[in-house]
Amino acid sequence: MDAHPVRLIVKDDLERSRPTVFFRLILAIPQLIWITIWTIGIVFVVLANWFVTLTAGRPAKTLHGWTCAYVRYGTHLNAYLYLAANPYPGFTGEQGEYPIDLELPEPGPQKRWKTFFRIFLVLPALLLATALGGGFSTGFSSQKGNTKYSGAFGRGALAATCAFLGWFAILARGRMPKGLRDAGAYGIGYGAQAAAYFLLVTDRYPNADPTAMLGDVERPPEHVVRLVGDADDLRFSRVTVFFRLPLAIPHIIWLLLWGIVTFFAVVANWFVTLFRGTPASSLHRFISRYVRYQLHVYAFLYLVANPFPGFDGAPGRYPIDLVLPQPERQNRWKVGFRIILAIPALLIGTALGYGLGIAAVLTWFVALVRGAAPWGLRNYSAYVLRYQAQTNAYLSLLTEAYPHASPLEGEDTPVE
Amino acid sequence: MTRSRAALLLAFAAVWAVAAWLLWRSSLPAYHLTHLDEHALFPGFVLHRARHFSGVERLFWVGQTVTQLVVLGLFARYGVRWMRESAAGPIGTGMLLGMIGFALVWAAELPFSVLEVWWRHRYGLDGSYVQATVGDWLGLGARFVLLSVALAIVMGLARVRRIGDWWWLPAAPVFVGLTALLAFVSPWLLGGRPFHAAYVSKLERIERVHVPVRVIGGFSEPNAFATGLGPSRRVFLWKPITEGVFTPRLDRFVIAHELGHLAHNHIWKSIGWYALFAFPLAFLLSLAARRRGGMGVPEAVPLVVFVYVVLQLAALPLRNVVSRHMEAEADWSALRATHDPAAGRDLFRLFAGQTREDPDPPWWDYVFLENHPTLLQRIEMTEYYRRHYAAAQSP
Repeated sequence: MDAHPVRLIVKDDLERSRPTVFFRLILAIPQLIWITIWTIGIVFVVLANWFVTLTAGRPAKTLHGWTCAYVRYGTHLNAYLYLAANPYPGFTGEQGEYPIDLELPEPGPQKRWKTFFRIFLVLPALLLATALGGGFSTGFSSQKGNTKYSGAFGRGALAATCAFLGWFAILARGRMPKGLRDAGAYGIGYGAQAAAYFLLVTDRYPNADPTAMLGDVERPPEHVVRLVGDADDLRFSRVTVFFRLPLAIPHIIWLLLWGIVTFFAVVANWFVTLFRGTPASSLHRFISRYVRYQLHVYAFLYLVANPFPGFDGAPGRYPIDLVLPQPERQNRWKVGFRIILAIPALLIGTALGYGLGIAAVLTWFVALVRGAAPWGLRNYSAYVLRYQAQTNAYLSLLTEAYPHASPLEGEDTPVE
Repeated sequence: MTRSRAALLLAFAAVWAVAAWLLWRSSLPAYHLTHLDEHALFPGFVLHRARHFSGVERLFWVGQTVTQLVVLGLFARYGVRWMRESAAGPIGTGMLLGMIGFALVWAAELPFSVLEVWWRHRYGLDGSYVQATVGDWLGLGARFVLLSVALAIVMGLARVRRIGDWWWLPAAPVFVGLTALLAFVSPWLLGGRPFHAAYVSKLERIERVHVPVRVIGGFSEPNAFATGLGPSRRVFLWKPITEGVFTPRLDRFVIAHELGHLAHNHIWKSIGWYALFAFPLAFLLSLAARRRGGMGVPEAVPLVVFVYVVLQLAALPLRNVVSRHMEAEADWSALRATHDPAAGRDLFRLFAGQTREDPDPPWWDYVFLENHPTLLQRIEMTEYYRRHYAAAQSP
């Protein structure tokens, strides 16, 4: 697949200044005022550019340049607000001046029908951007003239949650955790691609694939809980896609019933691990099966995988499968306070889950038409499932390795 | 067929017949209903509307049934190809195939469901397009759960080496047990609010049944039913039957009818009848499954689903005969408890106007679709009671 013309460049070193982070929102006020003013101007620019692109088949160079600067500036500002970068951004959207930057295309030919229907075509991308974050809240609100929309678009669940958690982490350690930064940057990058598409910078649709978005970013270390499977299998049966929700209901009920038993197993395992320092192997196996089964069911329900899963959570039977660790010694303090320690991961999991629902709905439509899932959305959903599985494994004492929020897969993932 | 098999079959048929006779026995007198003229009982416009409405409804039923048979027939032939969409092992794959079969039927029947709502609206009856489409799409999930449980039981039993093709013998009692359990539990799940009327306790005393009577909402048509076993027995009234034109006198007849069902153990008898049908049905399904390698393999499921639907359709007239017999007994019980045949007559006349039900449908409708006596037959029974009993007893 060709690289997306709107490319996110991440040169951030994770170091943060505590005072500017503490006052980040207040410090950003002048920038927010400036982007509001700029947005009013860009409405007219984009309208003019829309007519030019419709008639000439490509955007006007000057208007395109102004729009690019606006999109880039919005990205800088989002990165600053969401703590994905440290320095105070400039007000002009210059390329190369900020650690989270955008590479934008030169004005090129654009399909007229895509230009004409752009406002409708962009809606799915904007919906997903709502979940991922990085939308230009004030900008789009002014354009649409509807503050209700701006609020929704500006509240990027993922980026905002990463920023919220990152704020505490930075104040404590002076550094942004890499997982949170990567996740935030990913959300911002997707928002930038959606904005670039909406504002006629490119007619290439935003790509939700995390690996493509953060291609230049260093991958995190391999996590003990990870996904395996055939990444290239995107084929979907239209009939099972259409009836996906009712078909999943028996699994959901079984998951619920099994979950009740698992809850008590986890409680028992908590006591065992607290006293022995190591989980009971029988309970560990039972809970592992449940966590794996949950992944299979969610992969089926959220259209990450095609086949109907089995009811037993057996390893190696499903195209999207989960590698889980053997019982290992765990720090008793971390076991004792596991629920409290898991709260940040649960928050991120919830934020990601919001996007997962949207991605599933969008995938449903695409898969019904094409008989295959879109690559980007499928990979985004797989990222969410991986993170949620890591959280479940952590919460249910299968591992003491904290979930890694980075959308990138861990390094040296063995191919199976 | 060997002689021992023939003897076994004969013995089974004899047991079946004796059980059926025991279940058939009722408190109904040996009566002969005098045919009444429906034009004298119902206003002309009510009859005309009911006829017209029911006529098209019947066409919908025929269309749906034919569609169902065609779709499942094709599915029996080609459905196995969906096996590749499963990673769930033999039983899970069987469940998936079963669910896909009924999902395809649902999709094929969708135009009829939508047309039916439109038709109901034309006759001033309620119906929701959302409920008929999206709402029912989710309801399909609930049906899938039942289907999955059923397939898990029969396939699980068939996969036990010592049971194999004899799965139908243990499966039938399991399903009977589940039906009884459902009948026992369901009244507690339905909720509703208590219905208070002075006549209820008197009726309970006469019919020797003391159960709660409750009103449940969410329905647009007048109806009532009795359900439950032992301590869970209840009478439920749909809210519309407690309002408007349904006076306390009519409600008294309705409640007496429902109490009659409980007084004559109709829920238990229904389970008994279900058991009588379950064994031969399961046996015939096992014969069908053998053509595709037995019930333990998913390849058999599409054919079994098709055969199941055909057998259900074939058994429908017989089940309707049983159901009509029990409903007639409940009507008779209500007449004896209330001594008010006029209330019964008024109630059934009202039904024709309220539900657009044809008082005297054609024979094939009666055979396949009527699980109650027709409105005309029910009125004829009230008339029979009035002539032979009411005069001799005071209310």
